[in-house]
Amino acid sequence: MTNTIDAKILAKMFLAGAKNLEAKKEWINDLNVFPVPDGDTGTNMTLTIMSAARDVAAMENPDMLSLCKAISSGSLRGARGNSGVILSQLFRGFTKSIRDKEELDIPVFADAFEKAVETAYKAVMKPKEGTILTVAKGASVRARELAKEGCDDLSVFFEEVIRYADEVLEQTPEMLPVLKQAGVVDSGGQGLMQVLKGAYDAFMGKELDLTIGGETTGASSAKASVNAQAEMEIKFGYCTEFIIMLSRNFNIKAEMDFKEYLESIGDSIVVVADDDVVKVHVHTNDPGLAIQKALKYGALSNLKIDNMRLEHQEKLFKAGQLPEQESPKEPMPHKEVGFIAVSVGDGINEIFKGLGVDHIIEGGQTMNPSTEDMLNAIEQVNADTVFIFPNNKNIILAANQAQMMVKDKKIVVVPTKTVPQGITAIINYVPDLTAEENAETMSGEMSNVKTGQVTYAVRDTVIDDKEIKQGDYMGIGDSGILSVGEDVADVTFRMVQEMMNEELELISIYYGEEIREDAAQGLKARIQEAFPSCDIELQYGGQPIYYYIISAE
Amino acid sequence: MNQLSGRVAVITDSNSGITQAQAKELGIRVLPMPFMIGEETYFEDITLTQEEFYERLEGGADMVTSQPSPESVLTLWKETLQEYDEIVHIPMSSGLSGSCQSALMLAGDFEGRVQVVNNQRISVTQRQSVLDALLLVKRGMSASEIKAFLEKDKFNSSIYIMLDTLYYLKKGGRITPAAAAIGTILRLKPVLQIQGERLDAFAKARTAGQGKSIMINAIRNDMENRFGGAHADNIWLEVAYTKDRETAEQFAQELLKEFPGFDMVINPLSLSVACHIGPGSLAVACCKKIR
Repeated sequence: MTNTIDAKILAKMFLAGAKNLEAKKEWINDLNVFPVPDGDTGTNMTLTIMSAARDVAAMENPDMLSLCKAISSGSLRGARGNSGVILSQLFRGFTKSIRDKEELDIPVFADAFEKAVETAYKAVMKPKEGTILTVAKGASVRARELAKEGCDDLSVFFEEVIRYADEVLEQTPEMLPVLKQAGVVDSGGQGLMQVLKGAYDAFMGKELDLTIGGETTGASSAKASVNAQAEMEIKFGYCTEFIIMLSRNFNIKAEMDFKEYLESIGDSIVVVADDDVVKVHVHTNDPGLAIQKALKYGALSNLKIDNMRLEHQEKLFKAGQLPEQESPKEPMPHKEVGFIAVSVGDGINEIFKGLGVDHIIEGGQTMNPSTEDMLNAIEQVNADTVFIFPNNKNIILAANQAQMMVKDKKIVVVPTKTVPQGITAIINYVPDLTAEENAETMSGEMSNVKTGQVTYAVRDTVIDDKEIKQGDYMGIGDSGILSVGEDVADVTFRMVQEMMNEELELISIYYGEEIREDAAQGLKARIQEAFPSCDIELQYGGQPIYYYIISAE
Repeated sequence: MNQLSGRVAVITDSNSGITQAQAKELGIRVLPMPFMIGEETYFEDITLTQEEFYERLEGGADMVTSQPSPESVLTLWKETLQEYDEIVHIPMSSGLSGSCQSALMLAGDFEGRVQVVNNQRISVTQRQSVLDALLLVKRGMSASEIKAFLEKDKFNSSIYIMLDTLYYLKKGGRITPAAAAIGTILRLKPVLQIQGERLDAFAKARTAGQGKSIMINAIRNDMENRFGGAHADNIWLEVAYTKDRETAEQFAQELLKEFPGFDMVINPLSLSVACHIGPGSLAVACCKKIR
């Protein structure tokens, strides 16, 4: 009978939990209530825990304190999406409670579970029951009971905690009607269970493969080109790649000028021009400069920016060398106030830049940026006060987490839930007012904006009493599905009808990369005819997956 | 002119928004601002009405404003000085026109009998300066005392103007710094501010509703932080507009809900301002009441 565990076993359990979550991530993704082709809880939680697992895997014979630090800071930095942020806060609370212990027994675990739950609830503005929080709370309540009953066998303890938490998970549809209607349990809660179950397997001595892959960032392939020599010092920190879809003549002279410019800001330059596209690769400390320059020649696609220093650090870490902290140079001139927006789509990016956004974090529904992505962006923006517009409700928590981690700048997260809210918020920024006054005005104005977004369903389901078949188009409003059907223009039009009321003056239509301009013009005419007193504005958004993003204000 | 039987006359220009008819009632003189439309010269409120003006403006006519000719200024002063001992002359802001500079120069030949007030007012706030000057005349102040008083008081006013479009601002090319600050592919309604000499971009809005709330917040902020509090006995509140009076009246009602009991004036913006910002603009201004 085992009644205590040490740091070495705990590390093994953590890695096993991470691996198990990763193995089940697609299955957890499918538990999402909205059958939209994104917003993946399983992916977000996996990326979050893997960020910590890589650090843990690199440690040999860790002591409790350094293990706790690795778990806590790795997951905090890697946190993505709401469930990822909550998971990272659970780890933070848990490790805070055990970091000074040599060995963990049942009463210590009970305390740590409680601390974890308390920390996670605090991180969420309006905690909702029927979610990962509820499942975590279930686990901690049972743990406390077992500790009080004097249970001293850890295998019994873990088994019983997991059994009870599973029961709570099964109850989540009774607490959240949307889950019940969609016929699923809460996906974040299920993710947590997979971590606990993986950890339990390791504790029980199951043979498990605990090697942690180095690569977890989304769909990237060509990363091999990054130099892996351990002793190499990286002069230019960001590997930046993109394709320019030329809208202007790109002759030899232009190519020379462009290369020369890239040479002035970085190295490892590749510029390959081919009829109407140019493929660009550069290592630089300021990818924004390269992108800005490239935009002069046309729209960009396939953008990919990787922080090579972090990857490098990880390799050094694995090799057992402690890396020194080095901060990239900041070529951006200093200003008082800077702006960061999370955005995707060349048209929408361009709109944000035109409104004064200094730095765009590529991402949104399809890829929720991590807290670390936020921290990197904040570091790049050389300003005393930095406003962040997450533009997605699943990114706000990661931004808030970044805000709490930054000490040398004032960070203001304007909790914009959609791109149109972000646009309206930033338009309403008034330079003469204080950051607090602006945050208040912007938050007030953005809540007067209604947003509707049109995408397709990835599976059959029922939501808001609407039956949806795989492949159907869906118009999603601020608080649910507004229209469903087989014709994208019809679905969009009916969504707009649902959004409208008499007070609204302006309808903005941002059409996505898969929509042709004439189709968008047709839709605009149809909406104008139905709402003759409104101004209608049509803009190219270029966003993937969402055919139309529409706002009314 | 009977009520002004004192020694000091008050003169302003048509940028104050005071019409010739109102001038008669007040016992003051208003110098009409000249416009060039094509080859032809017109005078505000004398040979060109507001309606005719907007018709020509929206028809795409090229309009150029100019200062009153030195001759017209001198003639008016000389006439006036036959009846009065002194003149307080209140031209439009020196930040927006050379009229003030010219008048200051011309006044040099009058041995102090003409006092040109350089207090950087325009439109409804310029109008308030004229009314203040009349009050000070009644209190028995001399022209130079009134000039000193009004110039000391010059920063106690504030104007915010929401434009319906950037088109006229860009076309005129005159207010480029303000226009240049707002560059985007989205259609926006810029909100400009006039504080003393400065005409500047203040903020931007997507809809008229947003623009109005930006202006209301800004003016409240000025009242509370610069003019000693948002109290009716302390502040004059003014609404000005180009072309669309109905919208201005509606805005005035909204303002009175925010600032109940305030004295409120609604006036059209003068044409020499309107030709730079175009129709459909809406402004709110406030002036601190003089003691």
